[in-house]
Amino acid sequence: MPLTSAFSIPFSRFDIHKMWSLTDITTNIHDWLNETFSPTWVLIIEMVIAGIAVIGLFAVLGLVLVIMERKVSAWMQIRLGPNRVGPKGLLQSLADTLKLLVKEGLTPGGADKFLFNLAPIIALVVAMLLMAPIAFAKDFQLWNLNIGVLYVSAVSSLMVISILMAGWSSNNKYSLMGAMRSGAQIVSYELSAGLSILTIVVLAGSLNIPDIIYSQADGWWIFKGHIPALIAFVIFIIAVTAETNRAPFDLAEAESELTAGFHTEYSGMKFALFFLAEYVNVFIVCAIGATLFLGGWMPFHIGNWEAFNHVMDYIPSSIWFFGKTFFLIFVIMWFRWTFPRLRIDQLLNLEWKYLLPISMFNLILVTAIAILKWHF
Amino acid sequence: MMNGSTIIFYLLAALTLVSGLLAVTTRLIFRSAIYLLFSLIGIAGIYFWLNYEFIAAVQIVVYVGGIVVLIIFSIFLTQQAGEQLPRPTMGRQLFAALAAFCGLALVMLQLYKHNFTGTDKPAVEPTVANIGNQMLGVEEGGYALPFEVVSILLLAALVGCIVIALKKDTIMNKEHGKQNDEVKER
Amino acid sequence: MFIVKYIKDVFSGIKSLLVGMRRTGYYFTHHKEIITEQYPDNRDTLKLPERFKGEVVMPHDANNEHRCTGCTACELACPNGTIKVVTKFDITPDGKKKKAIDKLVYHLELCTMCNLCIVACPSDAIVMAQTFEHSVFDRAELTKILNNPGSRIMDGVE
Ligand code: SF4
Ligand code: SF4
Repeated sequence: MPLTSAFSIPFSRFDIHKMWSLTDITTNIHDWLNETFSPTWVLIIEMVIAGIAVIGLFAVLGLVLVIMERKVSAWMQIRLGPNRVGPKGLLQSLADTLKLLVKEGLTPGGADKFLFNLAPIIALVVAMLLMAPIAFAKDFQLWNLNIGVLYVSAVSSLMVISILMAGWSSNNKYSLMGAMRSGAQIVSYELSAGLSILTIVVLAGSLNIPDIIYSQADGWWIFKGHIPALIAFVIFIIAVTAETNRAPFDLAEAESELTAGFHTEYSGMKFALFFLAEYVNVFIVCAIGATLFLGGWMPFHIGNWEAFNHVMDYIPSSIWFFGKTFFLIFVIMWFRWTFPRLRIDQLLNLEWKYLLPISMFNLILVTAIAILKWHF
Repeated sequence: MMNGSTIIFYLLAALTLVSGLLAVTTRLIFRSAIYLLFSLIGIAGIYFWLNYEFIAAVQIVVYVGGIVVLIIFSIFLTQQAGEQLPRPTMGRQLFAALAAFCGLALVMLQLYKHNFTGTDKPAVEPTVANIGNQMLGVEEGGYALPFEVVSILLLAALVGCIVIALKKDTIMNKEHGKQNDEVKER
Repeated sequence: MFIVKYIKDVFSGIKSLLVGMRRTGYYFTHHKEIITEQYPDNRDTLKLPERFKGEVVMPHDANNEHRCTGCTACELACPNGTIKVVTKFDITPDGKKKKAIDKLVYHLELCTMCNLCIVACPSDAIVMAQTFEHSVFDRAELTKILNNPGSRIMDGVE
């Protein structure tokens, strides 16, 4: 059964780097548990460990990304940003979380109570499920499944359900409008995101995330795949920005028109869950982008510069992964604080008239490159 | 003795069945769509449990990400929030139950009549590459022909959609055109 | 050509987006540009721009003399009825009666800082001050008399 691989199996057939790896630790824990407990208990304990790790990562990501967003936005708008709570304002998001925790979670009258309370939980559960196949460091993954990339795009299509649910059950016209907009938006941008993911799948010849990463040992796909890979990368970034409902595609919340869109009626912890899910989703799509185009945890290597490559190998793989991911997150934040929001017709025009045709043509081009082995 | 795997199977089966039942018995139409969603997710879970990850992912993409979202959209556009559907009449309930029972009976009959034979050939790994080769293979056991037939069906459906969408447009354009002509004549 | 225009559209779109990103990127890396004033902390060093309009005041010189002739032009110019000019008649040394102000009453709570009174004043008797910490506990404190007690009009101002 699939859950037995809660801790990934070492990948011995590509032993190219002598990089420091977390595999030893995980296999040690696994062996020790196996010696002490029966297999069923080992499974349960490992699942609990994985669950705690994911929840911990969630909390840390939420805090870090919120403060990062606020600082980035402030500096881009020539402001100072939060600078009162803690050193340089770094504890601001902790204080905000505390405030949200003790705030009353109202359920509006006339709302569908069951669905209203279920929606934020679904948002969070989907975000948690998406964490499973991501490789955080060399050979360090919760669930190494065969179709990692497809799994991510499949499960991320569940994101829209929680938004639709929240919008409908709030019994509020702004929420409903926001939900419908975001539905139209996510369903259409999923296409070009999927196509740009496919270009890398075609180049790498696999859907498995470790396979894709190891295929970039001699150079990241964004460099190896010539211009088509670059185009795919740009389209991917645009499409995932839209899929996570962030500005300039934040029509679902559009403060100036819809107060707050689908989460207008949410307050307290339920709102915090939506907020957290949004930021974790941003992290996940950026992690996928970093994995597909920027080599995941692969260090940066230049051709035959042995010395340089050795120095790069000394940097731990998790730092490479998080560095790349946070770089992409920064780019997406940069978009948000630079561009004005699109109108709904412009949004759909952009997808159906520009991104989709270009990415389809690009996919054909990449397929030709892959068949003729023109990539490096 | 039940092991973990069986327990998970029964949990998934219970999720599928209970939410399927709720989907047809609830009288709030949006909830019914959501219960349908859970039922479909339960089925995807069973595919995952069987290690058919590809089919599971496709199940989620097609049914949950596509069809349920479409259903929800049509509910959004046609229904009023919070309204309860009228209770179906006795006759309808009866016929629906009968239809469901007939379907179940048919499937069970086929299952019991079929003689499942064991094989000692190694199982084909359900990887994407294998599925692709099988799907587009022209040799023994390949599905190239059905695959192409299905794609032609889809193409026909697509063309049909476009034709329907265009037709309305031209009628409207004609009306607009008439108005424009009248304006010009004046 | 359709396709040429299409490609041109794409590239000009990308270019314009990059221009915007360059600007915000510049601000992101240049923290000297930050314009935030951390108000209560920098109260001592706070410098307001010259054009800032905080309240209407009447400057007096060292001899407690102001320039107001009591012509009521400001009262007429004010759209909110903020200013009330109370006049009196002074007896000049040569026995003539002369109009002068008794009180110039200014209701800060009604003022919108529109500057119309200052423009209207023919003898430049009132100006805008840069004070802005106007909150008080009693509304009556917001009604001010602009001329100092015992003040008189400057010589030579008609
Ligand atoms: S600034 Fe405007 S509102 Fe205030 S007293 Fe002068 S004219 Fe009236
Ligand atoms: S302040 Fe100026 S406008 Fe007003 S009464 Fe005095 S001189 Fe006349």
